[in-house]
Order: sequence, then structure tokens, then C-alpha cells
Amino acid sequence: MKWTTEDIPSFVAEKQYIDTALVPLLPINFDNSIKQSAAMAEFITVMAAEIERQFHGRMLLTPPFTYLSEEGVQASKERLEHWQQQMKGAEIKHIIFLTADSEWKKVENELDEMLIWMPLVPFENMDSEYKKQIISEQIKQLLPLVVNKWKENP
Amino acid sequence: MVSEKNHNVSRRQFLTYTLTGVGGFMAAGMILPMARFAIDPVLQSAGAGDMNAVADVSELTEEPQRFDFSYEQVDGWYTSEVTETAWIYQEGDNITALSPTCTHLGCTVNWNSNESYQNQFFCPCHGGRFEKNGTNVPGTPPTEPLHKYEIEVRDGTVYLGKANPQI
Repeated sequence: MKWTTEDIPSFVAEKQYIDTALVPLLPINFDNSIKQSAAMAEFITVMAAEIERQFHGRMLLTPPFTYLSEEGVQASKERLEHWQQQMKGAEIKHIIFLTADSEWKKVENELDEMLIWMPLVPFENMDSEYKKQIISEQIKQLLPLVVNKWKENP
Repeated sequence: MVSEKNHNVSRRQFLTYTLTGVGGFMAAGMILPMARFAIDPVLQSAGAGDMNAVADVSELTEEPQRFDFSYEQVDGWYTSEVTETAWIYQEGDNITALSPTCTHLGCTVNWNSNESYQNQFFCPCHGGRFEKNGTNVPGTPPTEPLHKYEIEVRDGTVYLGKANPQI
């Protein structure tokens, strides 16, 4: 389910089936790494949309969690935990964080939820056929991770 | 110089003709667009351009195979490229193309992806299952069969249109 007026009513109506939230984590920079920040946003947005398409009926794709890199990963993590509490309060059982920012790897153990870190694939100058192929290859690797998470803890 | 009396058309007639002519054009200019709007739905083409080339007939097997195809979708002022998937198989001369969208809540189903359920479509979200022809297996969450694409075969190429419910 996407965060749109079209999908949210079905999320509310079918809540007992939709127990997973997918949260993209996007770093924001205005200094030299602004370009990388944009590339990450582009890449993760496409990936998240594709995962949502596969698991439309059980997954809610939330708006991205954005943070300034300068803020420091500890501070971002605290804010993210707040999101997490809110979602748990809304009876969402599984939360999946999707990011290309390697900072999160440092605090992965402190997060209670699943973190999927994907190395950034820059889409610039890539022709669309090749791009599609890359995306579908990546997605193929990701799907079992999600399905296993459900299996372990249904 | 010819005198006025010798004219075949009198001043009165000339004015009448001219005014009728101009008036006629003006009336037509107003009425035709209105008529065009009124009967517009009749004139709309059947949309043969909505079919997308997806696969070659030679690629098809009795086993459903996954084919992706994409087309441009215009939504208001925004054009985006939409990718869709179809599971296509051929039995004898019959070609069937099923939509992979689970009829329960819309996850994407896969053929033969669960060892416990051979030769069925399986939905990873809530365990919905469908037979090869798309019929939903009773006792699983989906309540209707997988949707079926409109199919057209031209020169050995399979074209798909919209996906419609089977019931």
C-alpha cells in the first residue's frame, strides 16, 4: 500500500492483513555530497516502489524518513525510534528500514527492526533497459529476505 | 457602361443572398462544434493502440512464463512509464495470459515458487494460491480468479491489452 488517498483507505479497512511497514531512510546534504544524497534518494525511492509493488497487500510504504547527515547517526536513530514506537502502536508488527547510507550499519545492532542496506547504484547515465535489469536483479535478491522475516515470525 | 436595369441580380436579391450566406456560415460555425461535442463518444476510436507487444509465440511453453512489458501512461500532465507483468502459457492453440496481481490485496504472485504447492501460483503475502488457469484455490484468502489479459496474436507476436476479471 502506498501513502496515497487511494491506498490508505484499504490499509485502514484491511489492517489485520497489512502488518509490515517499509520505511526508506534518506540522508540529506547541502554541501559537497549533495549529489550523492540525490543519487541515494533516487535509487532508494525506485527500490522501495518496486518492493511495494511485489508486496502490495501486506506492506505499507511510508513517506521516507529524512535526516541531515550532519545531525549524526545517534540523533537520527533516536528520532527513528520515535517513528518505530508510533508504528508499533498502530499494530504494525514488522518494520523494514531500507537505506543506501552506510552510517546506519554502525547502529544496526541497536535497532530492533530489520535494516536493509543496499550499496548505491547510481542511475545517472544508465540506459533504461539496463537500469530495469539491475533493479529486477536486486529485487530478486531482496524478496526472500522479506519472506523469511515473515516466516520466522508470522 | 451598363445601366442598373440590365443587371440580372437586383440590389435586394444581392443583399439577401449575401446575408443568408454569411448568416449560414456563422450558424454552421456555432452549431458544428456543438454537434461534434454531442456525438464525440461515438467517434472515439476503439483504441487499437492500447495493445502492447509482449512476447513471441515461439517463446511460449505449456509452463507459465513471466513476461514484463512497459508502456507510457499519461496521468493529467504527468507521463510515466508503467511496467506490468504477465504469466503467459500456451496449451495447443490456446494462449492464456494472466495478471500476477493477487485478487486478495494485490501482491504479486509467482508460479511454482513454493515447494509445498507444485504447479500453482503462490502469493507470498498471505498464502493465496491459484491453479494454472488462474482459478483461486478454495480455503485460501483470494475470492476470485486471477485476472486475464485480452490477447491478440499478429505475425507471431503476442499483444496484450487490459486485464479483466474472469468472473
